[in-house]
Amino acid sequence: RIQDRQGPAAPLCPPPCQCEEDGIFIMVDCSEMGLSSVPTNLSPLTTYLDLSMNNISEIQPRAFHRLHLLSELRISGNQLRYISGHDLQGLNNLKVLMLQNNQLERLPDDAPWDLPNLLSLRLDANLLSEVPAEAFRGVRSLRHLWLDDNSLTEIPVMALDSLPSLQAMTLALNQITHIPDYAFTNLSALVVLHLHNNHIQTMGSRCFEGLHSLETLDLNYNDLQEFPVAIRTLSKLQELGFHNNNIKAIPERAFVGNPQLQTIHFYENPIQFVGKSAFQFLPKLHTLSLNGATQIQEFPDLKGTTSLEILTLTRAGLSALPLDLCEQLPRLRVLELSYNQIEDLPSFYHCSALQEIGLQHNQIRRVESSTFHQLTSLRALDLSWNIIEWIHPDAFASLHSLIKLDLTENHLSSVPVAGLGGLTHLKLRGNTELYEAFSPDHFPHMRVIEMPYAYQCCVYGSCDNYKPASQWDTEQSNTNEDLHKRTVAMYPIHGDTHYDPDLEEFQLEIEESKLQTSVQCTPTPGPFRPCDSLLG
Amino acid sequence: SERPTLRAVIKVTLLKHEPTGKPIVLEGVFVGGSAGKAEGKLMQYHPLSLCNTSEDERQESDFITIVKLEHRVPRCKALHDKARMALDKGAQAVIFDVSDDANAAAELREIDSLPRPVVLVEAEDAEELMGLVNKNEEAKVVIEIKMEPKWPHYD
Amino acid sequence: PHKQISGVSSGCQQGGCLTCSDYNGCLSCKPRFFMHLERIGMKQIGVCMTSCPPGFYGTRSPERNTCTKCRSECDSCFNKNFCTRCRAGFYLHLGKCQESCPEGLVRSDTQRECV
Repeated sequence: RIQDRQGPAAPLCPPPCQCEEDGIFIMVDCSEMGLSSVPTNLSPLTTYLDLSMNNISEIQPRAFHRLHLLSELRISGNQLRYISGHDLQGLNNLKVLMLQNNQLERLPDDAPWDLPNLLSLRLDANLLSEVPAEAFRGVRSLRHLWLDDNSLTEIPVMALDSLPSLQAMTLALNQITHIPDYAFTNLSALVVLHLHNNHIQTMGSRCFEGLHSLETLDLNYNDLQEFPVAIRTLSKLQELGFHNNNIKAIPERAFVGNPQLQTIHFYENPIQFVGKSAFQFLPKLHTLSLNGATQIQEFPDLKGTTSLEILTLTRAGLSALPLDLCEQLPRLRVLELSYNQIEDLPSFYHCSALQEIGLQHNQIRRVESSTFHQLTSLRALDLSWNIIEWIHPDAFASLHSLIKLDLTENHLSSVPVAGLGGLTHLKLRGNTELYEAFSPDHFPHMRVIEMPYAYQCCVYGSCDNYKPASQWDTEQSNTNEDLHKRTVAMYPIHGDTHYDPDLEEFQLEIEESKLQTSVQCTPTPGPFRPCDSLLG
Repeated sequence: SERPTLRAVIKVTLLKHEPTGKPIVLEGVFVGGSAGKAEGKLMQYHPLSLCNTSEDERQESDFITIVKLEHRVPRCKALHDKARMALDKGAQAVIFDVSDDANAAAELREIDSLPRPVVLVEAEDAEELMGLVNKNEEAKVVIEIKMEPKWPHYD
Repeated sequence: PHKQISGVSSGCQQGGCLTCSDYNGCLSCKPRFFMHLERIGMKQIGVCMTSCPPGFYGTRSPERNTCTKCRSECDSCFNKNFCTRCRAGFYLHLGKCQESCPEGLVRSDTQRECV
């Protein structure tokens, strides 16, 4: 550290700042020191100066005029209201200027800042309501611009015209209501554009013209009424967000101009209609989520969208699925189609990567042997709340990875167990014609099982003869008893029981029972739900 | 009916005192049917770190997460989701200090099927544990099920 | 090369902190400050700053401003997918840090960029 070295050669470190040498140069940290002005005796060899979190309300004239080698200047977290072009005179080498968290109300117009090598400019969290046309005329090399969290009501179109090298910009958290045509015409190098948390209602259909390099566009949390058709010109777009808006329809061929799209986030929109061809030819798209688009009657045509891994299409009006669904989507991992009116299922045979299927709350009647055939990666299958009456004996035979199967609230009188040996969770509640008590031998890994009737849980050792009478009377049966309550019931450690293991053995058995993962079976038998079925 | 809960024994040994150091023995309560054994290095997490999936840093070795819950921290997620997220981040177990978040204990006791142990501590046990954390003393923790004495109510 | 000196002391005394606790540091920040979760050994404390530390980028939202880690190959970044400075051994081109440069550009080790 500079302070510790005496002698003429040592570059001056202005008190109370802390300094460090960087070869012949010096890095000065004056942050959080209660300063009200820029230290005067700064060395010309200063390359890094941090004045953040002080009480500086203005830059005194010629404060930086000797700092030709300064590369990074941080004045964030002060009370600056205005910085003129003269204030920053001499900073020919400056690359990073941080002015965020001040009270800047306006930027210089007539004599703008002359910072020819500036790459990053932070103006976020200030009070700017507009950006003068000439404001950026002296920072032509700029690549990264932060204007978020200000009071802008318009896109600063004229000012942006001076920034041919700009690559990343955020105008988020302002009060912008409209994006005019040709708003970003000269920004051919722009890769990232954040406009989230504004009040954007309308956009010119040519407002994104000129953004040839744009890869990320963030329009989330605005008030868009229509689908932003202007994105059609963004041929390099990879990531698009317009969630939390007011868009009601996604038109046909909506993304025809964006073949590079990998992610589209548009949840929290009142989307009712989706064009059948809207999501065609998006070979890099891996997630598509549509919820509540009630006007969707037909499954979308996903021709050319071959990389889709997650497809969520819930609460729509689907009544059937295309027979070639899996040919179009060979890489599908998660298929979530709950809350539709689907009656018949195609074979998902070609969707060999499928891990999760959600078909709950539909109108499915039958499950054929081919429906889920060879889905060897399938881990979770939810068919609850349908009207399934019959399941082919081999329907689950090849589901070697299946651990969760939910058949709650159907019309089943029998369930084929072939292939279900790996289950840890099985739900059959609400199948009132299903009387069979499945032997635990079918399910060696079972942890949570829900049966239509309590007596069907007796095979899992949770019947009344395992519990001392007194504990049974006082304890009100609880439909969702959890794992360790069962453990206590099976290995009573309280007073009045004849079962009396010694403590060490008790610890081992707890460990073993933990390993065996004793089964949580509901509804739990009790005095009013005896183990012996009243129906014989 | 009040769900019977299994108590946890928490043995804390400062790494600098290993292997001979005598462990500090504290107690807590298992939640969510998560009673079981766990062992690892103690790592504190800020309550906000369990709000999103930002992979701020991945721990290599086995670790046990401790989080001091505070009612003043804006609630970004249900506590059982926070517990699950802490386990998903690789923790062998999670210890929640609920001394300053009265609702937390009630909320956490109702959750189910957690894959690994989640323990609540409060009062002196929590104070001692957090005291260690505050001194930034690296420590190893072993969590076990507490064996209640055979005839606890015999009089 | 420029040294990033974190101008913020940890613990409760810093300027940007709104609510604070001895064990967790800052629990919430003053408006417009970023909340950064800093790990110091086995502790992790909340720190409120006007700019996120090197290797992290800031995301502003009406409810909360947070610091999030850049990709591993970036020393600093604008957002998750756009780097502004690369780690040693990587070279920047249009926001991407790669070990080699596109045709027509060469690697500059001093700037860690394709030029």
